[in-house]
Amino acid sequence: MKLAKRETESEIFTGSMADISFLLIIYFMLTSVFSATRGLDFALPEDSTNPPEIKQEDSIDVNVRAGGVLYVDGEEMPLDQLLPYVADKIRQNPDKPVILRTDPDATYENMITVFDELRLAKEKEHIEIKTISIPTQREIENIWTRLLG
Amino acid sequence: MALIRGRQKKAGAQIFTASMADIVFLLIVFFVLTYNVEKDRTQVQLPKTNVRIEVPKDEKLAIISIASPDEGHVIRVSSGDEMSLPVSSDEEIVTFASNVVAGNPQQKFVIKADKSVAYERVDAVLDALKQAKAKVIFLLSDQKTIKDS
Repeated sequence: MKLAKRETESEIFTGSMADISFLLIIYFMLTSVFSATRGLDFALPEDSTNPPEIKQEDSIDVNVRAGGVLYVDGEEMPLDQLLPYVADKIRQNPDKPVILRTDPDATYENMITVFDELRLAKEKEHIEIKTISIPTQREIENIWTRLLG
Repeated sequence: MALIRGRQKKAGAQIFTASMADIVFLLIVFFVLTYNVEKDRTQVQLPKTNVRIEVPKDEKLAIISIASPDEGHVIRVSSGDEMSLPVSSDEEIVTFASNVVAGNPQQKFVIKADKSVAYERVDAVLDALKQAKAKVIFLLSDQKTIKDS
């Protein structure tokens, strides 16, 4: 008498795969970070030991003070009026540089807000600011020493 | 009738887990693609800007981070090869930047500073980079939204 054989189904055991995968996910989650990869760029002059001298009267002087108070060419100005003012000057002289000076007691955010606004010149006012100079405190002091000495 | 009911084969209750592996693998693929071990893990609140230029991903970047005033304005530096290390003086930043630029004159620097940092600290870093003859600097920022403006 021939007995019907009970066939065992062949299968790959995948139960542990989920465990391994979850371990991998935990590893990647702990070691990986979603870093900020964007920001404002600016290029420094090629020879910073001998930078081209920019006279204050030839440029647009933007001074950021504590609390984000803005002085443009010595006059207090709200941020939204900065670009129309700069645009007007640039249209008269397209090579006019902008000097962005920030007081030491202002915050980094105060400076970045104004720098960002200046970088929007093309979109908002359809003008191109060829040079935005960000002198450091030491450079400003050097200029003053040279002027007074 | 009762006999027939008694012979019924009970279906074992089970949770269908076959799709779990698929989901998990998709998650792994996502993490592998976005995997990025950050060289500097300083927790900062970046300032928000409208203009955000992508930091080059295909090259090594030197990082200088400035922690918030609550964390003591701690400055950490990394040449991009190793995890960031704290520096205690401005001279150390100049030395670090000079060494990095000596190794690669085209080296790009990333400044990752908290928005509430006093500009004085950022100025010191910018000055060090200028002294080291760095060429391009990125100031990391977050995206400004309508809510922020």
